[in-house]
Amino acid sequence: MYIDPHIHVVSRTTDDYEAMQKAGIVAVIEPAFWLGQPRTEVGSFKDYFSTLVGWERFRASQFGIVHYCTMGLNSKEANNEALAEQVMELLPLYVGKEGVVAIGEIGYDDQTEAEDKFYRLQLELAKEVDLPVLIHTPHRDKRKGTIRSMNVSEEHGLDPKMVIVDHNNEETVKEVLDRGYYAGFTIYPHTKMGSERMVEIVRHYGPERIIVNSAADWGISDPLAVPKTADLMRKSGIPEEHIKLVTYQNALTAFGQSGQMDERDWLDAAPLDQTKKMSGNSVLRGGQTPRVEGKTDIVEN
Amino acid sequence: MENQLTSYLTQLLERSANQKGLDWLSTQIEKIRTEAIPSKFFLAFSQASRYFKKEKLEVSNDLIIQADQLVSGFQPEFWDQLQTARTVLMLSYPQEKKPWFTAMNQLFETADMKEHQALFAALPLMPFQEELIPRAIDGLRTNISLVFDAIALNNPFPEKYFPEANWNQMVLKAIFMQRPLYRIQGLEERRNPTLAAIARDFAHERWAAGRAVMPEIWRLVSPFVNEQFFEDLKKTLATKDELQIKAALLTLRESAYLPAKELLKAYPDQVATLDMDAIAWESIGLEFQRTRV
Ligand SMILES: [Zn+2]
Repeated sequence: MYIDPHIHVVSRTTDDYEAMQKAGIVAVIEPAFWLGQPRTEVGSFKDYFSTLVGWERFRASQFGIVHYCTMGLNSKEANNEALAEQVMELLPLYVGKEGVVAIGEIGYDDQTEAEDKFYRLQLELAKEVDLPVLIHTPHRDKRKGTIRSMNVSEEHGLDPKMVIVDHNNEETVKEVLDRGYYAGFTIYPHTKMGSERMVEIVRHYGPERIIVNSAADWGISDPLAVPKTADLMRKSGIPEEHIKLVTYQNALTAFGQSGQMDERDWLDAAPLDQTKKMSGNSVLRGGQTPRVEGKTDIVEN
Repeated sequence: MENQLTSYLTQLLERSANQKGLDWLSTQIEKIRTEAIPSKFFLAFSQASRYFKKEKLEVSNDLIIQADQLVSGFQPEFWDQLQTARTVLMLSYPQEKKPWFTAMNQLFETADMKEHQALFAALPLMPFQEELIPRAIDGLRTNISLVFDAIALNNPFPEKYFPEANWNQMVLKAIFMQRPLYRIQGLEERRNPTLAAIARDFAHERWAAGRAVMPEIWRLVSPFVNEQFFEDLKKTLATKDELQIKAALLTLRESAYLPAKELLKAYPDQVATLDMDAIAWESIGLEFQRTRV
């Protein structure tokens, strides 16, 4: 069993969902982020947030995957201040919803003043509703941006154990762990981490508070990055209990602090039965044979 | 009215929910009633999921009868605890038209799946119902069965308010989604020739694709059986499928078409069995859902 605690599944196909389920992914967390191009109306944010708690959650359930999300205004779009103000008014409508496991992904992109302002406002919101925070660290000037994110979070009185600092690399991991934060690692071809480097990090730092994710989205990315990295760790002799911690348990412990994520959500779920959940014209279209899983049924592999 | 409903629903919750949830709920009701701050109302509406389970209510026969007396067609035996709590919160929001619509529109537009389910199922308990007709019609465009069901099944709202075209679209979509038609209130009362023809076209489409036809659709046809429908029903009788045959016989039996009466003479035993079954359509629908969907 794996959890991918950072994946933008709205951008992924049903083939991806099927492959993820077969590879053992039982739950995903979809952080609210930008869509590759800036939104120009607050209504676009509203519909996007509604998708995260509505249709996408339903779609994931059709493939036997439990879908959670985080809510927040991302750092890139924080730079459109007039719009950002309106998004801030919208967020309280969504942060209390079922399956919202954190405020995120928030933080810095270009480390502008506007980014700083809305990052701080959202840290306050997280405190108010007692949710964990998922921090997106910048691609450029990463080390400084990461440290600044933690400093500001502490300035606002957040407990490091309620904060997941994401997209770490070899340069940031030590300080993030030393200061008591969860450290997320994104296995993303070309721009972030590769699986081999991830194995070395787990070997060096151990499994405590380390979380592996794919951050798969609309770019060239891999929705199977978590199970693939787990396999590589296995081949590289990382102990099984360490693999479980970094690809499942730590994410559950960190985001479970929201009270919105519980192992029973997938362990006690009825066996996947698309015939029951699907309703003619939802995800399965006419003529497709629904997949049924159960004691007597064979699932093709 | 909303006070009566609130105390009735609270009574239902007291039978199943835990004390912590009930205490939280009564605090929220008080706040929402007196302060009427939309953001606090929205937050409580969302956070009800932290206090109430998605388990069906325990509803006694007496309470079922009471529900129908309060609001004709209201069937809380199909409701879960969470949606009941959310409905109580919704009813607590002051029902002054303009601010009420502002708040409810926002709630509808930002709702998640379970919240949509609660809101749409509660339409018959809401004020200003005639102005909510477009909202209900729009809600039916969903592809999420949970939300569709909240409007279409065990809900008196569509029967009471939908114009014929929208009614027909709802029933057709229910057929398409293979939802249990016997749970649509007013299915028989609102039968009409247009819908019967739509059902017939649908059956032909299914046959052309080599697929079985949902037997419940013939229920829409019985008052309008004529030469054409008669041919379809004969074709249905010729299938080897017991459920299809039962549905065709039931349709013929309910029809006033003379050749139908003649044809039934060939099935004396089956017709006698149907005569004994006061809820024959429901049995067919249940059996279909159990074995084919
Ligand atoms: Zn991301």
